[in-house]
Amino acid sequence: MRFMVIVKSSPENEKEGFRPDPQLLAEMGKFNEELIKAGVVLAMDGLHPSRKGARVKFSGTHRTVIDGPFTEAKELIAGFWLWQVKSLEEAIEWVKRCPHPHGSDSEIEIRQVFEMEDFAPVLSEEQIQHKVAKRAELPLQTANK
Amino acid sequence: MRFMVIVKSTPEIEKECALPDPELLLEMGKYNEELMKAGVLLACDGLQPSSKGARVKFSGGSSTVIDGPFTEAKELIAGFSILQAKSLEEAIEWVKRSPNCNPGVDSEVEIRQVFEMEEFAPILTEEQIQHKVAKRAELPLQTANK
Repeated sequence: MRFMVIVKSSPENEKEGFRPDPQLLAEMGKFNEELIKAGVVLAMDGLHPSRKGARVKFSGTHRTVIDGPFTEAKELIAGFWLWQVKSLEEAIEWVKRCPHPHGSDSEIEIRQVFEMEDFAPVLSEEQIQHKVAKRAELPLQTANK
Repeated sequence: MRFMVIVKSTPEIEKECALPDPELLLEMGKYNEELMKAGVLLACDGLQPSSKGARVKFSGGSSTVIDGPFTEAKELIAGFSILQAKSLEEAIEWVKRSPNCNPGVDSEVEIRQVFEMEEFAPILTEEQIQHKVAKRAELPLQTANK
């Protein structure tokens, strides 16, 4: 099963010119190497503060663009992983071992990823296989092993 | 530059056993194929409702696990993609052309720039950066700046 593991942001992460604390970065590096050795990590990335981003609001056919930064840091994402594990419980156990900023509260959300086959109730087998094939062409699309 | 495009959720999407509308799935499929042809799409995935997920809160030295579902659908993610674009403006233009994932309700897509390892140069040595780059290149399907 694949899971997206979402690291929520914090006011610290959102600061101008933010770079992660080198100590935390080193601890994360070790944790990531453990995850990689265990064959869990499919992909991972960190995100720049929201001042370098934007939001697009969809309302019918209207599109409105709002430039960052955005308030409510805890609603924002600081980074993510894509993992391949046997169950939500296994993902939770790994997450509990994740290094976290000391002295402040933080949160990680774990969400299961849709596989194209999950759409069987609403798509035909042919439509599903077409999607699977297209995704396989993506430069670096993760796929359920 | 790489950008993460985050599709925010809605109460409809969060419904137990919710599956996307098949017509929308096919429309999104066409749009994604356009992005692929343009060499813009690096990866994309949809997320199951939060009832199938969990949160882990860290406070001090301890952690607490909270099972889904979670309220505040608009704070949740329904799906994401990773795009390769020359600028935020280009990424915005592509996103504006996306089918509306929620035709009946207002919804939101967030676009965030992805950190490249080289950007940690102020705080990591060249060797440490190259180590990170090499490790990532080994990942089965890590997207990377072209």
